[in-house]
Amino acid sequence: MRALSIASTGMLAQQTNVEVIANNLANMNTTAFKQQRAEFTDLLYQNIQTPGSQTSDQGTYAPNGIQLGAGVRTAAVYRITTQGDLKSTGNP
Amino acid sequence: MDNSLLVSLSQQLAAYRAMDVIANNLANVSTPGFKREAAKFEEYITHTRPAEGEKGPQSLSFVKDAGVMRDISQGNLEQTSAPYDVAIAGKGYFAVQTATGMRYTRDGHFSLDANGNLVTSQGYQVQGDGGAITITPNDGDIHIAPDGTISSVVRGVGNQIGKLKVVDFADGSALTKQGANLYSTSQTPTTPATVNLQQGALEASNVQPVIEISHMIEVMRAYEATATLSKSQEDMMRQAIDKLGQMPS
Repeated sequence: MRALSIASTGMLAQQTNVEVIANNLANMNTTAFKQQRAEFTDLLYQNIQTPGSQTSDQGTYAPNGIQLGAGVRTAAVYRITTQGDLKSTGNP
Repeated sequence: MDNSLLVSLSQQLAAYRAMDVIANNLANVSTPGFKREAAKFEEYITHTRPAEGEKGPQSLSFVKDAGVMRDISQGNLEQTSAPYDVAIAGKGYFAVQTATGMRYTRDGHFSLDANGNLVTSQGYQVQGDGGAITITPNDGDIHIAPDGTISSVVRGVGNQIGKLKVVDFADGSALTKQGANLYSTSQTPTTPATVNLQQGALEASNVQPVIEISHMIEVMRAYEATATLSKSQEDMMRQAIDKLGQMPS
């Protein structure tokens, strides 16, 4: 069943998301640690009926096609390099 | 073969198709710029020979795929604070140059490649009004204005680097999805009258998980109802054969 395998790609992606967030939380007190963020993209689409395909010889076209997506994948885990707070330590 | 079994089968195939579309929506609940889709079905009527004692052809309606409708409503803007993350508030698409031609996306997560070009997460160059946009380390902090102008201030002097190209199409729902958050189309891109970009944010997917799950339950119920129909049809045939077999000859 396709629906289950498509949904499972979503679960894998969310698992990656939680792992990245957990690592951010674990490094809350790490000096100069930069927050990371997971980014996702959709997988390829299977064309059943291409949008804009002709539906009759009178020149009518299908406004929407039938495209079935295959799920999601993690595209990147990128670092957000914004400035962190400066903390005085008193160490000469 | 009995007609009612064929009719139920067509409904079950449609339910599978609907479920695939819903599963893809749910899988992409965190994909920036993703637009939810819904499978639409239509009636397909055939005519059969009249049953005994009836006149004229009888019509029999099956269900078949009509298309997949895309909901191109705005997704929520999600703050990321990353300097090269840009969200489109309102209409429009970013133009991206790929090896197979121009592609369009609403996923505004960009970064710099080794040559300082602004690229998508797949490494495709994001198009400005004059081709690729190059940002050097000397440019300092980048500011992206709502109209797409990319600028920075170097030693107190303003410096315009480029302008993000935002295009729109006559029929936004007729774009073909290519995966990797990209769309392709044969339509001619137009320049939208107003462009509203926001730096440091991404447009979240417009999928609402609760609504998708309720659709999923709806499709499941319809599937189960049809399965019950096929089952009772089968029981009826079985009983008929049983009773006929027991008749004294």
